[in-house]
Amino acid sequence: MSQNFRICDSLVDRGRTLGFTFNGRTLEGHPGDTLASALLANGRRLVARSFKYHRPRGVFSAGSEEPNALVQLRKGPYQEPNTKATTVELFDGLAATSQNHRLSLEHDLMSISDLFSVFLAAGFYYKTFMWPKSFWEKLYEPIIRASAGLGRLSLEPDPDVYDKGFRHCDVLVIGAGPAGLSAALAAGRAGARVVLADEDFLMGGRLNSESFEVAGAAGSDWAKQAVEELASLPNVVLMSRTTVYGSFDHGIFGALERKTDHLNEAAGKPRQILWRIYAKRSVLCAGATERPIAFGNNDRPGVMLAGAVRSYINRYGVAAGMKVAIFTNNDDGWRTAADLLQHDVEITAVIDSRTGPAPQHIPGASIVMGGRVADTAGRKALRSITLSGGQVVPADCAAISGGWSPNVHLSCHMRGRPAWNSDISAFVPHGDLPTGMSVAGAARGSFGLASALKEGAKTGADAASDCGFSAANFDPPSAEDEPVSASPFWYVSQSRGNAWVDQQNDVTVKDIRLSFREGFRSVEHMKRYTTLGMATDQGRTSNVPALAIMAELTGKSVEETGTTIFRPPYSPVSMGALAGRSRGKNFRPYRKPPSHAWAEERGAVFVESGAWLRAQWFPLEGETTWRESVDREVLSTRRSVGICDVSTLGKIDIQGRDSNAFLNRVYSNGFATLKVGKVRYGLMLREDGIAYDDGTTARLGEHHYVMTTTTANAGLVFRQLEFARQCLWPEMDVHLISTTDGWAQFSVAGPNSRNLLRKIVDENCDISNEAFPYMACGEITACGRVPARLFRISFSGELAYEIAVPASYGRSMMAALMAAGEEYRAVPYGVEALGVMRIEKGHPAGNELNGQTTALNLGLGRFVSKKKDCIGNVLSQRDELNKDDALKLVGFRPVDWEKSFNAGAHFVATDAEQTLENDEGWMSSVAYSPILGHMIGLGFIKRGDARLGETVMAVDPLRGGKVEVEIVSPHFFDPEGKRLRA
Amino acid sequence: MPEFQLVSEPLLGGYSEEFDGTKIEEVSDLAIVSIACPVGGSKRLRSAVSKAWNIDPPGPGTAEASEKFGITLMFMATDMYFALFPRSDLPPVERVAGELGEEAYYTDQSDNWVALRLSGAHSADALERICPIDVSPRSFPAGSATRTVMEHMGSVVYCESELRYLLLSASSSAESFLHAVETSVKYVT
Repeated sequence: MSQNFRICDSLVDRGRTLGFTFNGRTLEGHPGDTLASALLANGRRLVARSFKYHRPRGVFSAGSEEPNALVQLRKGPYQEPNTKATTVELFDGLAATSQNHRLSLEHDLMSISDLFSVFLAAGFYYKTFMWPKSFWEKLYEPIIRASAGLGRLSLEPDPDVYDKGFRHCDVLVIGAGPAGLSAALAAGRAGARVVLADEDFLMGGRLNSESFEVAGAAGSDWAKQAVEELASLPNVVLMSRTTVYGSFDHGIFGALERKTDHLNEAAGKPRQILWRIYAKRSVLCAGATERPIAFGNNDRPGVMLAGAVRSYINRYGVAAGMKVAIFTNNDDGWRTAADLLQHDVEITAVIDSRTGPAPQHIPGASIVMGGRVADTAGRKALRSITLSGGQVVPADCAAISGGWSPNVHLSCHMRGRPAWNSDISAFVPHGDLPTGMSVAGAARGSFGLASALKEGAKTGADAASDCGFSAANFDPPSAEDEPVSASPFWYVSQSRGNAWVDQQNDVTVKDIRLSFREGFRSVEHMKRYTTLGMATDQGRTSNVPALAIMAELTGKSVEETGTTIFRPPYSPVSMGALAGRSRGKNFRPYRKPPSHAWAEERGAVFVESGAWLRAQWFPLEGETTWRESVDREVLSTRRSVGICDVSTLGKIDIQGRDSNAFLNRVYSNGFATLKVGKVRYGLMLREDGIAYDDGTTARLGEHHYVMTTTTANAGLVFRQLEFARQCLWPEMDVHLISTTDGWAQFSVAGPNSRNLLRKIVDENCDISNEAFPYMACGEITACGRVPARLFRISFSGELAYEIAVPASYGRSMMAALMAAGEEYRAVPYGVEALGVMRIEKGHPAGNELNGQTTALNLGLGRFVSKKKDCIGNVLSQRDELNKDDALKLVGFRPVDWEKSFNAGAHFVATDAEQTLENDEGWMSSVAYSPILGHMIGLGFIKRGDARLGETVMAVDPLRGGKVEVEIVSPHFFDPEGKRLRA
Repeated sequence: MPEFQLVSEPLLGGYSEEFDGTKIEEVSDLAIVSIACPVGGSKRLRSAVSKAWNIDPPGPGTAEASEKFGITLMFMATDMYFALFPRSDLPPVERVAGELGEEAYYTDQSDNWVALRLSGAHSADALERICPIDVSPRSFPAGSATRTVMEHMGSVVYCESELRYLLLSASSSAESFLHAVETSVKYVT
């Protein structure tokens, strides 16, 4: 087969040949072809099977409105189903296959379903497969899904890469047809920053598809010159192969640029880019979509839109057929005949639904004014059409024109509703348009070429002017408005056989009638009952005819019937493009503490803690379980010294004359008396009295504090403080800045921590218990005048310090601490050992500060001062939060020390049934305590502090298990705190 | 001589790569000090800045460079500026406090940030992929500076000269930030 239907020169480059395959057969085309034009050039009529009935289908249109010619493109993991052949730019090596058939495309086993189509009307499945109920998911649905549908996924990860981007402009022009080019020229020449986006790879819109003249030259030549001029303007960005798919708030648009889809190899570059375009003004020049007329068997390969037939002959030099019959309700049909005649294509008939004299003479063609096409013949390719009077007209192509529908979609994405214009029998943009949008050309219902050019120029100039640019002199080029007279005609009532309205979803006129009869009469109900207007073409060719048919059935006007809601995307957007580069490890950024590299070198096991990667434990050779490592780290720390990177804790630098008063208001406990050189534990409440976060704050100077927060709440606390500073008490002289990332901070804990640190801090720093007691702090120097901060605080319950140095010294400091601790057999410990020691000590953490608990629940009631005003103070005194049987944080240990339990277990009385009514609280944190030799837990139980010594059952119905536990003090280890004050 | 000595290491090992004329380099010798203006003290601070560095404190979205004193002052918030200058033996806060006196509150921010310099013909194109701010030369000329978010990471963009940007982001996610910038440059070159 060798391009027998390529009959004339056109805009494709016939000097170069591209090889491609369709269903394994090698074919040829040229640069500038789409897959559809190349298939038609090679005489391929049958290219697909329909969704439901597996009817043979061919190319129907020449653009993104295509309902039929969907193919699977590329191979293996690169395979993409449901690709419109009419928008795929041909490249050398392109491989396409047809979809949705068993056996071959030509001999589809499932085409038998077409024979039963009379039984398979809309709603059939839901009415029929009702019984037995359990069969639906297991039997009926799998069978139905296997026999119907579109393409298939490769089920392999997509190896292509995708990206996102942000683009800004003064004027976004959507569509590069005559109106769009004109608008872009007007705005661009005025000096505005213009983005001109078009879904086609060749800008020019219908100027490339029609035989129009502009300024005395071929329309396509003028388009080419206009594009060249725009490309030369530094303030204009041309985005071909780009679909503006959605209009959003504040002049923001979504656009999908197909960057390397037209190349055989993407060479590591993104295949598609999802752009967010910020435009001060936008000009919608999206053109219009031609509508078909529904008649019997109007879906055979060879039945096409008349505008598409013109496009294939004028742009691609391809005859969609050699014997063409035309069925029209407007003047465009006649123009199709004239264009084809110029290239010696035989016109067998022109059937015009309108009455009156024929607009022009078509040599050799039967002219039937007031005629109707009632049926067609030809199973896999059109052979003839039959008129309602019985006349059979031979034709291998039927060009159908039922008028045009402006592409109003983007004007309606912000819930705008288009208005019906009876002059052109179409909906046009109306009322509230998206911010800054104006509409020009066919998208506005101005179908004439001269009107489009003129409107484009005016709207482009106005948009530029709105952005502060003086509109340059841009007179639209001379052109004529072609005749656009049309008379609404939607379907042929005398049709024999099914008259298809939505070819992508196999919806017929009969289905719409059924929808009406069954009460699904609103357009939204009709859409869902019949599935009309769904899937990849979003009913671009079918929606308006269907509305009109429903309007006729209900006796209402089309205007009264209305449209369905328009929603983004205008054309499908691949999931890959939506994800962009946020895949796998790139899904989100990682934060690494300053000693990360050191820990990595020592084989630490890491855990994700929010965005942080933290060392969980440091396994040694021979340790086979995590518990072995963690137990060793805990015991070594408690017996000598351990070092843990705690840089992830939030650190907020607070300065200002009113810092002290500010802290006294944001913390629930008193801070007014905190002296310089001291640290204090602080509890923060939310406005509603619930505990928000806890941490310590050190007073480094008269007006200088450093607050630490929990790792998880660092951002939240900073935000809370900023809100308080800026909104609640703007008169206060308080200044905040995060220093979380600026300091590498290490906890040095254990009886030998002081001995170790004496080797690190500079000589002038006395860290004896007398000079630097528990809860002391200071700005010091370490390891030879490196600025450092030292805090005598303890999360582990041991004699402990936290030493901080600028983060760039972090790795070096960790190494120095370990070297200094060698004589004490110092160990690094991770967050798991940290967690064990804090549970042993009874410190609440994230599991306890979970957004539901109060200071009273946490056993921190004394930390809510009644003597001052602070955030959360008032509402913490609500009766409901201060009940006698309030939950209290206490410790738990198994009665049988060999037993284990889980966090999340709930408490019930030992003799009570495990029901929700008997639930008394829950276990929030558990750990195996190597120092005690059994499991320990923290948890909340009603009146817990008054029930020490009682036993209850810790039940875990989800994971199974039931353990008798004793209620004990939450301070399992060194309850008097002697060690940390040593 | 102390028994143990500490070494300050660049976050990204002094990264420097060029992709088709567009260069990414880590700026590891940058000192950053935040300057917070006391409530009611803006006039005094303005006067101190002017006297010390011969520039006015910059307005929103801008930075002022004092070449003579080797310092760039960047607007960060209504009462806060960043002073950027090359590191020296003198602790950053001491230098700034020494020159502005007690007219502001100072915090050393040097190690809070990773700094990347992005320059070359494709630098704006690369930023277009990750930066929601319009950084084209026309909208974001030399001297422009703003806070933004790139790939979920809080960032600062400063246009030092046309198609030459200084990017700051949190030091803890330095590798992720470099990856984001580097990926963008690779995609556009």
